[in-house]
Amino acid sequence: MSEKPIFSAEHISAGYGRKAVIHDISFSLEPCTLTALIGANGSGKTTLMKCIANQLSHGGKSILLGECLEDMSVKELARKVSYIPQKSGIKISLPVLDVVMMGFNPVMKLMQRPSREQENRAKAALATIGLGGYENIDYLTLSEGQKQLVFLARTLIEDTSLLLLDEPDSALDLQNRYQIMKHLKEMVAEREQAGLLCLHDPILALRFCEQLILLKDGCCVGVLHPAEDSLEKMEVALQEIYGDISLIECTGKNGMRHLTVLWEG
Amino acid sequence: MKKSSKIKNIIFLMTLVLLVELVLSLFVGKYPLSFEGLLAGEEQAMRVFMTLRLPRTCMAVLAGFGLGVAGMVYQTVFRNPLASPDIIGVSSGASAGAAFAILFLTGSAFAVMGSAFLGSMIAVALVLALTSIAPEKGNASIVLAGIAIHSLAQTILMVLKLSADPEKELASIEYWIMGSLNGITLDKLPVPVVLSVLCMIALFLLHRQVLLLSVEESEAALLGGSVEKMRLCILLLATLVVAATVSVTGIISFVGLLAPHCARLLTKDNRIHSLWLSGLLGGSILCMADILARSVVASELPVSVFTSLLGAPFLIWLLLRRRDENV
Repeated sequence: MSEKPIFSAEHISAGYGRKAVIHDISFSLEPCTLTALIGANGSGKTTLMKCIANQLSHGGKSILLGECLEDMSVKELARKVSYIPQKSGIKISLPVLDVVMMGFNPVMKLMQRPSREQENRAKAALATIGLGGYENIDYLTLSEGQKQLVFLARTLIEDTSLLLLDEPDSALDLQNRYQIMKHLKEMVAEREQAGLLCLHDPILALRFCEQLILLKDGCCVGVLHPAEDSLEKMEVALQEIYGDISLIECTGKNGMRHLTVLWEG
Repeated sequence: MKKSSKIKNIIFLMTLVLLVELVLSLFVGKYPLSFEGLLAGEEQAMRVFMTLRLPRTCMAVLAGFGLGVAGMVYQTVFRNPLASPDIIGVSSGASAGAAFAILFLTGSAFAVMGSAFLGSMIAVALVLALTSIAPEKGNASIVLAGIAIHSLAQTILMVLKLSADPEKELASIEYWIMGSLNGITLDKLPVPVVLSVLCMIALFLLHRQVLLLSVEESEAALLGGSVEKMRLCILLLATLVVAATVSVTGIISFVGLLAPHCARLLTKDNRIHSLWLSGLLGGSILCMADILARSVVASELPVSVFTSLLGAPFLIWLLLRRRDENV
């Protein structure tokens, strides 16, 4: 907890109709780190994410680099925050390169077309995440894992400071899940971004995220820092959400320390 | 690399087809025109050429192009392969407007044209107004409001038809609805042509935004798109293109639905060249349909007969061809 936070959410609360879904949640994010929002289905993870992305009217404030996200125009917001949806919302055939270049939209004029330089940057981004040579492939024919990677490439070309990911692991197989988390971790470290992810898998969160925010029934019931907190403290906190679980420390083949969660219900 | 040059070839070929049709259309018809006669400056021939043949041909190409472009835009914005101008009530509004003019106004060509245009714009304005006061402002609301207004306009049309004199008025209403490029003269052209060309240019320039609208709403918003405003603006432009043409030609079925699909089957994506191709295909289908409509039998036939007759087999051929390629 050394660096100054670049983002802080202050007293966020929201609901649909009269029903309050999240109550007074505050937290802050540091640059070069990933933070996971974890909680059971319906605990308010996605709602909280929508509030921060200013897609849902809510109480409280989100402050990024001293500026209030709620006061920004759509375009300004898009220049500072990038978002990777749970499932791609693209339903029409488009070449992968064009999907990546949508990321330039916030910095382009309404009728402007992408320049050659922007095209090259998009190609380079695809190469970085291992999809070089896919530029002209139809996006719809990609696997879900590849689609998520294309979105990562798209956020690479956007020069944003906050990264929001809504369950990036939900449609992916084991290998792709770890792959994407690895890419993400490298990305935020290199670009001094803060990443906020909704995750379903506590093992993934413990392994890759510097901070875990635990949500239950729309309230924040704990904040964990896997590198610092004791096993017992984390176990108790996670039990609050997942019920009867045990948190176990084990060592991998290469001698690395891992945390894993066993469900004992 | 290979794919993009293939698409260039297709576009070149379709442009060529359209040009051939254009020339053919200028010289086919009841009054025989010959190239030599025009060059020699025969007065009668010149008059037919300038006041009838040329405007009619231009309108056919432009109307087809416009319907193709607008159809593609509708399908992209609504993310629905079945979306057509009717989804937000353009055509039914125009029909009701035309019928109204035939019954209650002078029934002159200009009155019908103006009234049809007004009818379609009222329908669309109602749809968009309804959507803007609805709590959910997404695509689903637009489509539902569209269905409501569409059926309302159909009802008005039905009532108008019932009260029409079956000998003359009802026939003209029916004939208008079937669509025809017959009776298009030079003086009817300027306003609709300028309007639809301007709107089409805007649509081409805004194409990147059209594609952005096809993305799921919250994602598009976080890519910096002002979804609601932009959707309104683009739908309005596409609707103006359709309304401007339909008010002159009457309802032309199938082109707006078919041309985009043909274009996509050929290019296999939704980039700007597909929009071009959709326009070119729409133009050539309508131009050919019009040539046939005035030359197959002695009397004029409704152009929609031939747009479907030409378009449907073409679509079927493309469908089957694609399947072959995939094997």
